[in-house]
Amino acid sequence: MEFKYGEKEEKLRTEIREFVKAEMPPHFIGKQFEDETSAEGWAFSMSMSKKLAEKGWLTMSWPEEFGGMGASHWERVVFSEEASYWGIPGLGMGISGTAWVGPSLMLFGTREQQEKYIPPIAAGEPDGIWCTGYSEPDAGSDMAAMQTTAIRDGDEYVINGQKVWTSCAHWARWLWLACRTNPDAPKKHQGLSLIIVDMQSEGLTVRPLENYVGGHVFNELFFKDLRVPVENLVGVENAGWSQLMTALSFERGTAVGTTAAARRMLDELVIYTKATGQIKQPQVRQKLAELAIDIQAARLMANEAVWKTVQGQTVIHEPSRDKANGDILQEKLGRIGSDIIGVYSQMDLGLEDNRWSRLKGAFEHLYHYNIGFAIAAGTTDTQRNIVGQFGLQLPRAY
Amino acid sequence: MDYTIGKEQEMLRKSAREFFEKECPKDKVRELKSEPKAYDAKMWKKMVKLGFQGLIIPEAYGGMDGDFVELALFMEEVGRNIVPMPYYATIALCALPLIAYGNDEQKENYLPGIAEKGDIWTLARTEAQADNSPSEIQLSAVADGDEYLLNGTKIFVPYAHVANMMLVAGRTSEGDDPPKGITLFAVDPKSEGVKIEIIPTVARDGRCEVVFENVRVAQAAILGQIDRGWEILDEIQQQGALLKAAEMSGGAQAAFEITLNYTKERKQFDKPIGSYQGVQFRLVDMLTSLDSLKYLVYNGAWQVSVGEPSRLLNSSAKAKANEVYDDICHHGIYLHGAIGWTEEMDIGLYHLRTRSMIYDCGGTDLHLESIACELENDVPDFIKLYGPAS
Repeated sequence: MEFKYGEKEEKLRTEIREFVKAEMPPHFIGKQFEDETSAEGWAFSMSMSKKLAEKGWLTMSWPEEFGGMGASHWERVVFSEEASYWGIPGLGMGISGTAWVGPSLMLFGTREQQEKYIPPIAAGEPDGIWCTGYSEPDAGSDMAAMQTTAIRDGDEYVINGQKVWTSCAHWARWLWLACRTNPDAPKKHQGLSLIIVDMQSEGLTVRPLENYVGGHVFNELFFKDLRVPVENLVGVENAGWSQLMTALSFERGTAVGTTAAARRMLDELVIYTKATGQIKQPQVRQKLAELAIDIQAARLMANEAVWKTVQGQTVIHEPSRDKANGDILQEKLGRIGSDIIGVYSQMDLGLEDNRWSRLKGAFEHLYHYNIGFAIAAGTTDTQRNIVGQFGLQLPRAY
Repeated sequence: MDYTIGKEQEMLRKSAREFFEKECPKDKVRELKSEPKAYDAKMWKKMVKLGFQGLIIPEAYGGMDGDFVELALFMEEVGRNIVPMPYYATIALCALPLIAYGNDEQKENYLPGIAEKGDIWTLARTEAQADNSPSEIQLSAVADGDEYLLNGTKIFVPYAHVANMMLVAGRTSEGDDPPKGITLFAVDPKSEGVKIEIIPTVARDGRCEVVFENVRVAQAAILGQIDRGWEILDEIQQQGALLKAAEMSGGAQAAFEITLNYTKERKQFDKPIGSYQGVQFRLVDMLTSLDSLKYLVYNGAWQVSVGEPSRLLNSSAKAKANEVYDDICHHGIYLHGAIGWTEEMDIGLYHLRTRSMIYDCGGTDLHLESIACELENDVPDFIKLYGPAS
């Protein structure tokens, strides 16, 4: 038993902090997904992606031949903790490319695909920005119900249909598309494939979907007789479901980052309440203490899941446990922080420097965005279903 | 970062689990409710033979020289089987401070008795104010020649009625600063002037009122330094909170397993009730809270074992334990349905102990306040890097 990181990891932590001090505006507070809603925010993120790539950190866990540094799980954990605590933008250029497109192409892609698509991701180039098309209006948690088709026509696929909740489609160069290549397959999990689509293709319409607080993260995609060459097929035609499951396991990741981001928010609240004098109020002290406990517990559970992976154990329900727990933690944090800020928490989002905004609007952002986080990548209750079925070995309840 | 339970630790855990399952089945736990001693003396002696009382005591004094993580793992097993016995009072509340603060003579006099003979010790600390603060300690200890005269009343003292010795926290000097002027004495409960009465607690777990009337103790009975007893009480509270949290973690795990198994067996509407989403979501949230507690305890215990104790973690573990144990018992009984509310099922035995365990070494408010103090005094990473905000 040992609850500390090794020397190598701590050295990396120091390096990252030096980088933050040199490259980031002082007292920067990260707001997840906010960069995607403005051209200015996105430009700053992409400038940081480039710098992270130069450090080798953007895709640090990838093998060296693909532009990574073969970092260990624990180095990756420390990087994720620091990046989230300091709110370093541009970590994933819309997430898809660094988190699952790259690793999936390493497993299932052709050499040509690997040579064409992987280097721009690792280098933090605009050509390495990806979005992902899984969800459809009638295929949400039940993803295998997707209806978008890609029908072979000579050397091309002809794509028709619709995708929705597509983050980053308004900045992406490429689309990682899951669709139905055999509409006549007997079961819904069969006949699916993964196909790479150029976002500049004819026949593609991107419609922005504004969220209720005026942010532009999601989009709707409409495909009308969009043609892609057959070499854009990833892996085996009609065997997309298993490849998709592998890609999704990359997406689930760990709760290390969200926990570290929560720790930063708690630190901000402590300093804020010291300045306002609220820290002397017993109810404020108790709430801050409760958050500190929950954040430490979440950190320990996230690391437990990583440790199991390092040990070669199969991690089945733990990421779901941590996602659900993280959702609940962020909701609590958003609410407690907003209550502490009080009347100022009703400010509009994205107003860092307005004289009525407190803590650069970080809690307004969290308060409204945590609902979206709880829905994304498997809702809190979907995760509970998974833990019930696989963690507790109870009969499937859905 | 390593979550491995080592081979020796695993062996200890296994032997403790098997021992308590065999020696203290739930029927024994029920029987002991009507046994005034509130523990099984035969089992206690068998534990001595296996070295359990000597687990954390140095080899030089007849112990096994185990570390704090092993003690925490052992407490988990005690809690898992809700074994009614004076182990926590003897080891967590007394042996640890004797090891840390006793002089050579005291250690030689007392520690082998605990490790090799199974002497029972307890800590007489709580008084009417009952808030674990320094000002709670009002029992007067006045110097009279070479001796001290103790006068006052202690309450909810665990197992005082069967103890061979007890540590008593008294006030040796008054002043504006309550932590100053507290002194700890090792006292024989059979001394003249000590009156012990069992308090009828819901678990019948041997809590006593101990009245001191002109009880004479020698100067040699002082543990540590005169007037400096608060330092020791504080350390007892820190480590005791962690070990009680470990016990509660083990108890909550067992209460959860009993409940989970029941929901897999019990059928309604032709299906196991565990297949219903409403039931399942409760169980899932219980599992997450159990994992939270377990790792807070392990992390805190590891910090103590490497000599870097963390007040933040100690208090986090105990505050979490207070919440989780209560929750799991409550939801556990509820998920059993009406049968869970009867004496017949084991789940209720766990909940009988909730209230006493919550207050052992500090209730929730006390620990939340302690965490708040740590947060207030800490300089967060972002201030270290950027300096204070303008």
